[in-house]
Amino acid sequence: MKPTYIIRSVLAVAVVAMASCKPEFKEVTPSKGTADFSRYIAIGNSLTSGYADRGLYLEGQKNSYPELIAQQLKAVGGGSFSSPFFNQDQANGSGYMILKGFNPNGTPIIGAETSALAVRNQVTRPPVGTVTLYTKYTGELNNYGVPGIKLDQVDFAPLGYFNGFYERLLPGDVGPAGTTYIDFVMQKDFTFFSMWLGNNDILGYASGGGVGDVPTPKATFSTKYQATLNRLTSKGAKGVVATIPDVTITPYFRTVTLATLLAAVRATPNGAGVENLYISTATGTRIATAEDLFTLTLSSDGVFGVPNQANIPYGLHPLNPIENKYVLDKDEVATVMDFTTAYNNTIKSAANAAGLAVVDAGELLKTYGAGAKVSGIAVSSAYIRGNLFSLDGIHLTQLGYAIVANEFIKSINAKYGSSISTVDAAKYRGVKYP
Amino acid sequence: MKKILLIFLLGLPVLGFSQSFQVNLQGQKQIGMAGAGTGLAMDEAAIFFNPGAVSFLKQNGVQAGVSPLYLKTAFRQTGSAITEYNKDKIATPAMAYAVFGSPENKLRFGIGAYTPFGGAMHWKDDWTGRYTVTSLDLQAIYIQPTVSLKLGDYVGIGGGLVYALGKVDLQQALPLTRENGEAGTAQLKGHSKDFGWNAGIYINTQAGITIGVTHRSQVTANVDDGDAIFVGPSSLQPTLPTKFTAALPLPATTSIGFGIYPSEKVTLALDVNWVHWHKYKELAFDYDNNATIPDTRSARNYHDAAAFRLGFQHQTTAKLALRAGVGYALTPVDDEHVTAEVPDADRLLLSAGIGYQGTKGFGVDLSFLYEDVMSRQQTNGESGLSGEYKTRAYIPGISFSYKF
Repeated sequence: MKPTYIIRSVLAVAVVAMASCKPEFKEVTPSKGTADFSRYIAIGNSLTSGYADRGLYLEGQKNSYPELIAQQLKAVGGGSFSSPFFNQDQANGSGYMILKGFNPNGTPIIGAETSALAVRNQVTRPPVGTVTLYTKYTGELNNYGVPGIKLDQVDFAPLGYFNGFYERLLPGDVGPAGTTYIDFVMQKDFTFFSMWLGNNDILGYASGGGVGDVPTPKATFSTKYQATLNRLTSKGAKGVVATIPDVTITPYFRTVTLATLLAAVRATPNGAGVENLYISTATGTRIATAEDLFTLTLSSDGVFGVPNQANIPYGLHPLNPIENKYVLDKDEVATVMDFTTAYNNTIKSAANAAGLAVVDAGELLKTYGAGAKVSGIAVSSAYIRGNLFSLDGIHLTQLGYAIVANEFIKSINAKYGSSISTVDAAKYRGVKYP
Repeated sequence: MKKILLIFLLGLPVLGFSQSFQVNLQGQKQIGMAGAGTGLAMDEAAIFFNPGAVSFLKQNGVQAGVSPLYLKTAFRQTGSAITEYNKDKIATPAMAYAVFGSPENKLRFGIGAYTPFGGAMHWKDDWTGRYTVTSLDLQAIYIQPTVSLKLGDYVGIGGGLVYALGKVDLQQALPLTRENGEAGTAQLKGHSKDFGWNAGIYINTQAGITIGVTHRSQVTANVDDGDAIFVGPSSLQPTLPTKFTAALPLPATTSIGFGIYPSEKVTLALDVNWVHWHKYKELAFDYDNNATIPDTRSARNYHDAAAFRLGFQHQTTAKLALRAGVGYALTPVDDEHVTAEVPDADRLLLSAGIGYQGTKGFGVDLSFLYEDVMSRQQTNGESGLSGEYKTRAYIPGISFSYKF
């Protein structure tokens, strides 16, 4: 044998061997288990619609958690899934917050996207006030997420008259005697549903600093939740529901704090000696403590420290305290947590009684909000840098929604013995920087 | 041989060809015998395998070779049905040795250059674990001048000073979304120059068994003033690092090897390597600007690990030798510490080789090594990247030698 012949033979064998032998895993066959995913619908509020950055816009709609779930359901018999997308030329929908940059002290500069909106009209409708109407959506509908809707409103016939996001889903002119949300949903023939409702029943109270809105009474919540599940399962559909997060852990309440406010004051020429801030509460004006939470809007509204006509700086004196709407004081925090816990107990027990899967979204966001890594991405409830919450400090980023979608999938798999694949959450973005 | 080494931001080491990022491709004859050779006085590669055996080599010689390494890793994220693969990329560890001095004398000299550590792992830019690593090129070239002294007919001792040249290039996606909706990128590039040593004893019992014991010291590759090339959102760019320092321990290896000669034509070699991986506790990166990116200290917590190698050579004719080998290397990496740039696990080694020695001193050796890295399912404790890895490596090799 000539050496060249040997060399050639060995190399030929080597090349063939290398090219043909990729490592393989055992094949995974997605299975639907005991559920039927052929016609899936999603019921919920802003979180379900894909709302982010204080707005509903096409990019968010496309990455809503129901859209992500529906994509994965396709491998286990899921049918087509339609969300009420805004048209491409009105892709910015309601408009939304954008990050424009950072001030020298590191605070964010927030702007607004106001082009290519889908706003049709703005009308005054007492007692709600200004209602924004959007370009109507017609066509198939599977994602029934309506920003702003409370569980308390699912049987409220005039909802379409006061909520522009619901109005755009309804056909024709919508008057005060419209269609209830639950009736509208039940017009659809579906085999599987997800429902994430209840957040707004406490959110309005919390985000307004405990003024302006009242929590849905616990008994009402329980009755209506049960009734809604009864309707949804009345034709044999199976489903998954989710608990609501504790809104006091969000950046909306954890970014502006007593410490950051005091630090800002003390950095000013005359503020070095400031010891206390004053807040207005339901029980009167008092000194703020670290247990009182301040809203993100206190910062963005730019009122803090500004002198009034009597030349008293805002928040620094009992005669010009921080208004109640910017403060969730410790008693109000306790109220929010009390209602959240009660709602979640209702959600869990009602779902268990109905044999539905339950996502503990409250626990999920608590865990991730406390700090976690998702395929190398650090997430937390830190404002902007936390990658989990969008610029409004309450709604999630696309990454956050992808994490939620995976939790829904895991709960469905556990309940129904299915093996729906999870999504690659790392493919979804956090906050966009300029 | 342009690819060398590096490490990264949220902390990662390198990809391996033998055990984590240790590379055991130092001599084509020995590769054909599953990397065994500590107890043999076989050829010039004894400079690496056992400097004590150099004084027992019957001839002087020079050799140079290369082992193009093709490595395919599969990854499947927990809960997903999709398998992702690394990109095709051939790494080329090379080796060269020269032995000189009179074979009749007790003192012999040698010089060797080889690549005992390295890695080349390239994932697609949009793969699931891109925020942990997208590519790693790591290379440590050791240059080793060596002296070997024969003490009578039974014992040879030898040692060499190691000058280690390291190179690293580590890349990953940066979890800061830019205005165009895409993630930023981070690249760490650096060089290191460090010293170590390699020493061994070779014993010829003159009773059909030869024995070798060697120790190659740890070299700590220190990258100072490396380039940290971060591409992030323009609003954050001034806050991103531009330089980094890091240190990567290239661990010591203690080996014992036996040569057994059942017949005139047959050589059996058995090696056990003990790699002192426990020194690799953490991978830390210090950046010059921490306004946005903090320094990282990533736990590795490797433990010492052994490898077992059994090689066989049949000198079929005066010119032709056939070789084969089998080996098993235990992983030094625990669950929760496996990373995508070095998805290490226990591995099985199978090898074959052919040597052809011409009449005028010229020779050629061919080898082929197959490594089957066991599949491994785990969630990395630091990155949260959860999934299953499976790797296979195919490593053909060739070297040319001239004896004088």
